[in-house]
Amino acid sequence: MTARSSAADRRRPTPWDFVVALIVAAAAVALLFLLKQESGNFLTATVVLDGETIAQYDLTALTGPVTLEVEDASYPLTIQAEPGRIRILESSCPGLDCVHTGWADRAGQQIICLPNRLVISLEGTSSGDIDAVTG
Amino acid sequence: MKRAIASLLIPVFFLLTGCGTAEAQEQFFTMDTVMSITVYGKGAAEAASAARQEVEALNAKLSRTEADSLISQLNAHAGDGTAVDMDGDTLELLTFAKSVSQLLPGCFDITIAPVMDAWGFTGEERHVPDDDTLAAAMALVDSDKLLIDEAAGTARLETAGMSVDLGAVAKGWAAARAEAVLREAGVTSALLDLGRNITAVGPKTDGTAWRVGVADPEDDSQYLCIVSLEDQTASTSGGYERWFEEDGVRYHHIIDPKTGYPADSGLKSVTVISSNHLLADALSTTLFVAGPEAALDFWRSRDDFELVLCTDQGQLLVTEGLEAGFEFRGEELGYDCQIVRR
Repeated sequence: MTARSSAADRRRPTPWDFVVALIVAAAAVALLFLLKQESGNFLTATVVLDGETIAQYDLTALTGPVTLEVEDASYPLTIQAEPGRIRILESSCPGLDCVHTGWADRAGQQIICLPNRLVISLEGTSSGDIDAVTG
Repeated sequence: MKRAIASLLIPVFFLLTGCGTAEAQEQFFTMDTVMSITVYGKGAAEAASAARQEVEALNAKLSRTEADSLISQLNAHAGDGTAVDMDGDTLELLTFAKSVSQLLPGCFDITIAPVMDAWGFTGEERHVPDDDTLAAAMALVDSDKLLIDEAAGTARLETAGMSVDLGAVAKGWAAARAEAVLREAGVTSALLDLGRNITAVGPKTDGTAWRVGVADPEDDSQYLCIVSLEDQTASTSGGYERWFEEDGVRYHHIIDPKTGYPADSGLKSVTVISSNHLLADALSTTLFVAGPEAALDFWRSRDDFELVLCTDQGQLLVTEGLEAGFEFRGEELGYDCQIVRR
């Protein structure tokens, strides 16, 4: 006969099982809120060129300016990121609407260069009180 | 006891997996802009994909830069007497666009395309056209010379050189069609961002209305206000979206069909909110050209849309139908806000 644990022998859960479940549940909820709170401190910029992610910046972790030359684009352009914000510094695209957009520094914002099919998207939780932007 | 433990842990599981609501997003370039379709609930991925395909198929018919589109064929036959076969979608949209021209004469015309071309807004280089070029282009703007035969299912442009551009209405039409596809798939909650024209399909999954920020024309990272949407579109037109500078003067892309120059009506932006997605899209451009007084007079004459007008005097004029769920955010940006009543 093989040895079995006393817990395995029991058919019905004891009050201790209930306490353990409560602790697990409480820990999970605490972790959830901790993670949500922490993500609120982050602002991430993702640069997508024609459907492919070519760069990602944690804008809150940057300590100084960073530039990215996007030579592969149809109209080469330069992206500049610095602590808390990002912009398209210069572009050879017609129209320059992307440069005119200026700095983006809020979660939910996008900078778009249509001729290049390039999108810079900012993510974080500080945009939590709105679902979309028109204009 | 086991049931008690299980009932305690199940909600925790859903909390950790995003409340158990499936979400799918499609982001894509079409209609000369970026669009995203976000769908919630069962079958979200398939529904979002189907809605995207619907919008892309519309673009293939309606774009004047796609050589094979129906609109390109219509334009190519301008002045040669050919009545060009249209499909139901395109014919309905052309008819609607002509009707908007009649609602607010001189403020909207889908045959403005030659003038847009003269300014270079559709090409590689934007510039102020010389007087002769502009006059020649303006002579081609007249939607009365777009002849639609609904019985025969055809359209014809009377004069050589005329050209139709549906850019001011196509996104609204796309929103309506995408919503229909989503509804057919059983979707009850979705958010469409079609080039920053926002369409709310149903409420959010928690049953509350969607909250949409209206961007400050002076600073895209700031909001003038927040409006609540449910089964409605918020469409915004402003002179800050596409522009260029020449000799120190800024010229934007919303051309006044009366003058051939960028509209200068006293408005920085117009946001139209309506459950008629197509109407919202068309009116945002039209009322931007019309100016604040004409826009509010037109609003008073109807009951199927609401407005947020941002004037160049720093005033936000908000029609009374938006009061519920409205939040003014422009005070620190230097704007005044006034609720306009009928």
